[in-house]
Amino acid sequence: MRLADLPEQHPDRARVRERVIELCLPLAEHLAGRFRNRGEPHDDLCQVAAIGLIKAVDGYDPARGVAFSSYAIPTIVGEIKRHYRDKGWSVRVPRALQELKLDITKAVSELTQKLQRSPTVTDIARRLGRSEEDVLTGLDAANAYSAMSLNAPASEQQGSGTAVVDLLGEHDAGMASVEDRATLRPLIAQLPEREQRIIALRFFGNLTQSEIAEKIGISQMHVSRLLTRSLRQLREGVPADH
Amino acid sequence: MDIVVLRVPADGAYLSVLRTATAGLAARLQFTLDEIEDLRIAVDEACAMLVADALPGTDLSCRFTVEEDALTVAVSVPVDGAPRLPGTQTFAWKVLTALAGEVHAEHESGHAAIRLTKRRREAH
Repeated sequence: MRLADLPEQHPDRARVRERVIELCLPLAEHLAGRFRNRGEPHDDLCQVAAIGLIKAVDGYDPARGVAFSSYAIPTIVGEIKRHYRDKGWSVRVPRALQELKLDITKAVSELTQKLQRSPTVTDIARRLGRSEEDVLTGLDAANAYSAMSLNAPASEQQGSGTAVVDLLGEHDAGMASVEDRATLRPLIAQLPEREQRIIALRFFGNLTQSEIAEKIGISQMHVSRLLTRSLRQLREGVPADH
Repeated sequence: MDIVVLRVPADGAYLSVLRTATAGLAARLQFTLDEIEDLRIAVDEACAMLVADALPGTDLSCRFTVEEDALTVAVSVPVDGAPRLPGTQTFAWKVLTALAGEVHAEHESGHAAIRLTKRRREAH
């Protein structure tokens, strides 16, 4: 039976499609193997290759007179290459670490509730039944991963007159230098509203990261990443003497 | 009191090493995650300021002083002329003090240095 002969709505189509994909999986895995030792775990690459295979199965048109393998191989390899290009293996966090990161995020929020304070690394390790070393690795991964996972556009809701900009205003002469006011205000105004609010709460309201997390409804680790990123943006936009 | 000294090229690409070391040492002192993340961001900020002024091809030295309830991170780089350290009235200074607690910046014998001390606040 040929998949291409079955019309889109045919009841057997899904089953045949699945079977074709299964039969070709070794090809996908073989191609993934060619990219071994280039910084990505083999399992992750096999998954990407399998996605390429599915695209190849769905996109193949025998009417063009090309053998399936001639179509599938470049499609799968293309998918793997795109994976490297898009994700950049240096910043991409392997799946096991991403899971650890998620576990930690969840544990932090539960422990913060239970202990009524921010947890220590020991608290988190105990809760997850993992070593403190693991937890630190997960926290590091969370920071590395943020480079790509945070994608709020810088110009989002610009100029909404948020409190931080006002806090840096003329009334607060004791805090901000004249240069600060001139250079920092427009930069802060360019941050997304949520980031402006986080900066206001942390540096002017003196709230802890956990308290901000609760107020805004995101995780403490997310607050930390947004703070890091916002400060970096401000620093890079301001001459070094500020 | 334990001393840990790290020396890395004065280049932004190496700051992650210092951030990681900071988090590791702060965790040993049983700092909370809030405190760890604050200190990590403060070290990032301080190092980035210094790296911007460091003489090309030099190293950034980072000295951690580990006490029972406090972690001090002193970073310094060789500079040429007067470095642009943050004044106490600037936003950058406010950020550092809010994150680390005690902040000290100085320029001495061709080096610009920033010292951050974070004390463990919460009892547990």
